[in-house]
Amino acid sequence: MSNDDELIKDLRKVLGDRVRVDSAERALLRRDASVFDGGVAGPICLCESANEVQQVMLTAITHGRTVVPRGAGTGLAGGAVPLGAPVVISLARMNRILDVDLESRIAWVEPGVVNLDLTKHLTPLGFHFAPDPSSQQVCTIGGNVANNSGGPHCLAYGVTNAHVLAIEVVLADGTVVMLGGLDAEPTGYDLRGAYVGGEGMLGITTKVAVRITPNPPAVRTLLLSFNTPREAAATVSAVIAAGIVPAAMEVMDQRITIAVENYVNVGYPRDAGAVLLAEVDGLEGGVELDAERIEAIGRANGATQVRRAASNEERMLLWKGRKTAFGAVAQIAPNYYLHDTVVPRSRLAEVLEKVYEIADEHNLAVVNVFHAGDGNLHPLLLFDGREPGIYERVHAAGSAIVAASLDAGGVLSGEHGIGIEKQAFMDRMFSADDLDHQERLRRAFDPSCRSNPGKVIPLGHSCADIQSLRSVPHEVWG
Amino acid sequence: MDLGIDEDRLASCVQCGLCLSSCPTYRVTGDETYSPRGRIALMREVQLHDAPLTAEVRRAFDTCIQCLGCEPACPSVVPYGQLIERTREHLTRERGRNVRSLLLWPLTKPRLLRIGSTLLAGAQRLHIVPKRLGLPTSLPMRRRRHVSSGTDVYLFTGCVMDAWQREVHHATQRVLEAAGLGVTPIGDDWPCCGALHTHAGLHEQGTALARRTPGSLDTNIPIVVNSAGCGAHLKQHSDLTVFDAQEFLAQHLDALPRVTPLDMRLAIQDPCHLRHVQRAHLPTRQVLAPFVTELVELDDDGLCCGAGGAYSIFEPDMATQVRSRKIASIDRAKPTCVASANPGCSMHLAAGGVTTEHPMVIIDRALRQS
Repeated sequence: MSNDDELIKDLRKVLGDRVRVDSAERALLRRDASVFDGGVAGPICLCESANEVQQVMLTAITHGRTVVPRGAGTGLAGGAVPLGAPVVISLARMNRILDVDLESRIAWVEPGVVNLDLTKHLTPLGFHFAPDPSSQQVCTIGGNVANNSGGPHCLAYGVTNAHVLAIEVVLADGTVVMLGGLDAEPTGYDLRGAYVGGEGMLGITTKVAVRITPNPPAVRTLLLSFNTPREAAATVSAVIAAGIVPAAMEVMDQRITIAVENYVNVGYPRDAGAVLLAEVDGLEGGVELDAERIEAIGRANGATQVRRAASNEERMLLWKGRKTAFGAVAQIAPNYYLHDTVVPRSRLAEVLEKVYEIADEHNLAVVNVFHAGDGNLHPLLLFDGREPGIYERVHAAGSAIVAASLDAGGVLSGEHGIGIEKQAFMDRMFSADDLDHQERLRRAFDPSCRSNPGKVIPLGHSCADIQSLRSVPHEVWG
Repeated sequence: MDLGIDEDRLASCVQCGLCLSSCPTYRVTGDETYSPRGRIALMREVQLHDAPLTAEVRRAFDTCIQCLGCEPACPSVVPYGQLIERTREHLTRERGRNVRSLLLWPLTKPRLLRIGSTLLAGAQRLHIVPKRLGLPTSLPMRRRRHVSSGTDVYLFTGCVMDAWQREVHHATQRVLEAAGLGVTPIGDDWPCCGALHTHAGLHEQGTALARRTPGSLDTNIPIVVNSAGCGAHLKQHSDLTVFDAQEFLAQHLDALPRVTPLDMRLAIQDPCHLRHVQRAHLPTRQVLAPFVTELVELDDDGLCCGAGGAYSIFEPDMATQVRSRKIASIDRAKPTCVASANPGCSMHLAAGGVTTEHPMVIIDRALRQS
């Protein structure tokens, strides 16, 4: 690894002892929060400024190496795992909130700012950052931009793309550009829009201007219990059809509800076949009316019990339960594969039943927790990775779930991104022509395929990516 | 290498990363080797995949403050405390008798400890104690004797706290007495709870000390502990009925006289072993509220201050970085004083220039002023 020594020496000129090369660290960063193992990482660079990111990029260019950005490593599609021992650009230390402009409702933040930290910072000022992924207590704004993240409350407020105004980016050739702007109607092509959701393949985010949202004056949170997930799903469709726009509508099936209740102890019913957590916000008069209507629709669709959060503490605990659901599954099995597909809301119940069937066919445990309002399914396949041959079964069941979702007119990913998880499914969704154009967009930003190579676009459509990888990963599962 | 960790416990982490923000060492470094998820992954590498125990891996384990802020954050309820305790124990055994166990030896010798700390107090007055040791600025030259006032409760007095902060014990006793309770300070019969030993990887010594209940003790009488770290350790390892001082007082709050509150803006710093281990941090607010004009919460969700028992002595650099983050949060709250129910935290914060008081000392002052 003599050329590694030279690379490390040059990186150290930029970052000093903030370059980590020991085997422990490099092994740890093989993974994010998904099941994918990208292999041992290259040197890990803990950057503290845009200038440092730029210098690291230039050093990587000099040494002909690729880079992968990493925030908190909570991604679920393998987007930040290192393929081919790239230089890891860690943005976790770039975690300053640079400026909050209440009058313009804009905040400038560094990419390593934790999503919930931003909202906590804004709360006393009467504002919050609307996209609230379930991992918001740890995930970073940079990662939210890279994955165009959603969250329960994006049903009413829109996903990350709607809340990002401008992005400072270090491109793969080492130049620094500002995409988008603070004006309401920027002229020219919306390059900012093209960049959001780029999964680190279009460059490295070093600064973001986000829109901040005033806190609603009134909120009602309802917990509806049903005998079956189908009834909960039907209620969701009926609520939307009735013209109500709730802030959030989330469904959990019985097994995950029990696991969640074991953790938060807020009174989630252990005996319900499914629960629907619905929230409406806005002006006092309106939310009360909407809450009553949701309750009535729920009862008409089989709700056995409807409970309202009596205090803000209770509301926060209910949400804590919902948002930590995917992490609570170790109570059931030591490994999970969390899926993320979207189907038309009207076909939610039907696809859900298909998901249970698929899991049964592959002899796997599955729990369902999902952003019902968006039709965004999150089946979690649960297993013990130590069991021989288990990854093949999980993989096969995962493929079948994707196929069922696409057959129902759905899409590959709601919010977790494609990463390496959904890469192989891209050509089921897109034609060769589509993929070709996606690859061209990527090459327009990064002709060298230096930034996070080997992700999103299937390898067959992305020759340069293969060339830029030092070794092509043949087995990333497990 | 077998770290002696139960394999199912090791498998109970799904690597979701929801613990990261609750880990003080990850928060200040942004480095995943210094996070709970990272440390568990390294335990797996070492125990299950025979990864070498390199200096970096050891460092990852050594730098854990064992604040256990990650435990309440974990939806899968991974017993991280047990995992890291096991790992530490293994590393300590492997290293053999080390500096740490020598440093901790005087804790079980109360007289020696007091003589030593009086000498240290004298040296401080001669200005020959280096500041970087982070010791409290004025250790006491003499201490008033403990006197029993009845047998409603025992007051656990412990090791360093009894030598350095006996005034806090006296204040605690006076407050309990004001609530109509007779108090017996335990004193040298039970010199140390062993928390610092367990923390340093000397698990057997630590639990043995926690269980070394003096024969004269009536096991039906509750034991009140005013050091959060000691209270947590005794609750975990002894079979006796143990209460944190504020937790106990909250049950007798009505018995205290109503007095004019002290005019202060008091911020509450929750010691980790009160908040994350005993999960009994809310009573501190309840018992302080009647005695001060203003209570204010810190905005860092109970993140550790970096004291961690003897951690601030063994890992001064990391402890200082973690403390800086806590001090920034304190500065934002703009308090006149910070209440801390753990001697280690208050000394560590005081060494960083923060005015701290034990909650019992504040209540005692309010009671005595009226």
